[in-house]
Amino acid sequence: MSTEVLVFDILAIIAVIAALGVVLARNPVHSAVSLIITFINLAAIFVMLHAEFLAAVQLLVYTGAVTVLIVFVIFLVRVDDLPEFYGGNPVQRIFALLIGLALLGEVAAAILTRSAIGASDIWTADAIADAGGNVQVLGQILYTDYVLAIQITAVVLLVGTIAALVLARPESSTLPGRVKRTGLISLAHPRGADRGIAPALPAGLEATRRGETPGVRFDDRGVVLVDNAEDFTETTAWGGDVLEGED
Amino acid sequence: MVDQPFWITVIAAFIVLNVMLIGMAYMTWFERRMLAQMQDRVGPNRTGPFGLLQPIADGVKLLAKEDIIPEHADRRIFLIAPLITFVTAPLIALFIPFGDPITIAGQEISLAVSDISVAALFVIGISSVGTYGIILGGYASANRYSLLGALRSAAQVISYEIVLGLSLVGVFMLAGSLSLVDIVNEQRNTLDFFGVAIPNWFIFSQPLAFVLFMIAGVAETNRPPFDLPEAETELTGGFHTEYSGFRWSFYFLGEFIAVIVISLLAATLFLGGIDGPFADGVWWLLPKTFIFLFFFVWLRATLPRFRYDQLMGLAWKVLLPLVLFNVMLTGLIILIRDGEIF
Repeated sequence: MSTEVLVFDILAIIAVIAALGVVLARNPVHSAVSLIITFINLAAIFVMLHAEFLAAVQLLVYTGAVTVLIVFVIFLVRVDDLPEFYGGNPVQRIFALLIGLALLGEVAAAILTRSAIGASDIWTADAIADAGGNVQVLGQILYTDYVLAIQITAVVLLVGTIAALVLARPESSTLPGRVKRTGLISLAHPRGADRGIAPALPAGLEATRRGETPGVRFDDRGVVLVDNAEDFTETTAWGGDVLEGED
Repeated sequence: MVDQPFWITVIAAFIVLNVMLIGMAYMTWFERRMLAQMQDRVGPNRTGPFGLLQPIADGVKLLAKEDIIPEHADRRIFLIAPLITFVTAPLIALFIPFGDPITIAGQEISLAVSDISVAALFVIGISSVGTYGIILGGYASANRYSLLGALRSAAQVISYEIVLGLSLVGVFMLAGSLSLVDIVNEQRNTLDFFGVAIPNWFIFSQPLAFVLFMIAGVAETNRPPFDLPEAETELTGGFHTEYSGFRWSFYFLGEFIAVIVISLLAATLFLGGIDGPFADGVWWLLPKTFIFLFFFVWLRATLPRFRYDQLMGLAWKVLLPLVLFNVMLTGLIILIRDGEIF
């Protein structure tokens, strides 16, 4: 048995066991960890097949980003609160089985067709090596033949990003006339910036409110803003008389 | 690529990984001594000459400590999580070219242990897998502080990984390859800079990418000023609150290995790696790496920790647009250089 076959066998066995763990584990975090192990082993098998770029994407996108988000959600949602988490209703189970079988059939069909007709593509291993390698060929094809598909994917992702932004905005900032809060990622209550109802002002201050006293303003919360505190107050902070003419 | 038997690769990997472990042990010593100098203290100086045996003493002490597992912890994951961080970090060093292929007894040996064509992407991918150590460790501890630290870490690493990866795109475009060996070879050319011949190191042609790479690298390794996952003022110990003994030190050592690895990468990608006057070789790579190691310690002694929302805002609103701008600019300059436009 050559080293290559031995390494492949080890990787394949671990991948299959971990894949079983994904569906059999009772704890969703254990399922997620099994999924990560499966992904890493698949990436290693891709490297052995000289599909290094695919392996790197598998590691970066699926293992490094998508599964982290799955784990995130599992952490934040208590599984015991989910209805029928450990059972599922019969209709769901039947559909899950059907979808699973359909996917299995598709993969099997692809593999069988490929082994029946052989690698009849123009991209044989030698042709790829001549064109500079896996990454170069992939880049060429993606940005010439499939450039429209790439653009559409980009637009779809952009729409998703905008949707996420809209959903994540604080409640108050979507209503007209409320305080717009920008520049902060707020974990606080969305109404934290709400204004209280401005208290009724003493009669003598109504002229001030209309902006007739120079140097004094009200902001929209009913807070008095003055340019010079001593012009406005009749009582000093220390409770004594206002000291006239002293600086 | 060099055609060599499997066992030679295994031996080379063994050597590199062990050198990384020794380097990591002495990185702790270096950091403590250097921080002490910067803070006007003495630092560890009792164990051996200049305290050089201190890492060994620390290791023995940590091995002798009790390994505590919290009662409500998710036991299996709690035990494995620190190992994920510790194992993935030194793997990246296997992709670094430590010199040109050498010939011993008629057998050509590559000094980059694994010279695969997408090494640079693999490096980023492996470091993102290393994050699972922190995320799962924080979850498995069954402690609110740990979980908060883990969530912070996940958000931070996902954000800065994007910056880290995109900052390298300019380098890939100039080198025309994702292989670290090709990138180093490209940097061995000379660049004509207004009549002065300077080495074609990518720090000169990609200065913005270099700065962004260093910022993202510091965040990726959870080092100050980006060490929010373990912010002790808010989260006690962050993700490693419940860990003790040698299991705790796996996290600690993993972080130090990550620092060394990021320094090696920065030296390889931006400072020409093994390139240098007289003769190319690992003796040029090491001093360059050392500059970055010092830089990491220097940062820790100088800058206070970021606030959490500042951290995420920096990544998404400042660094990401800059890094995309750098990619566009590089593409434009390449088109002008090749005479495709103008």
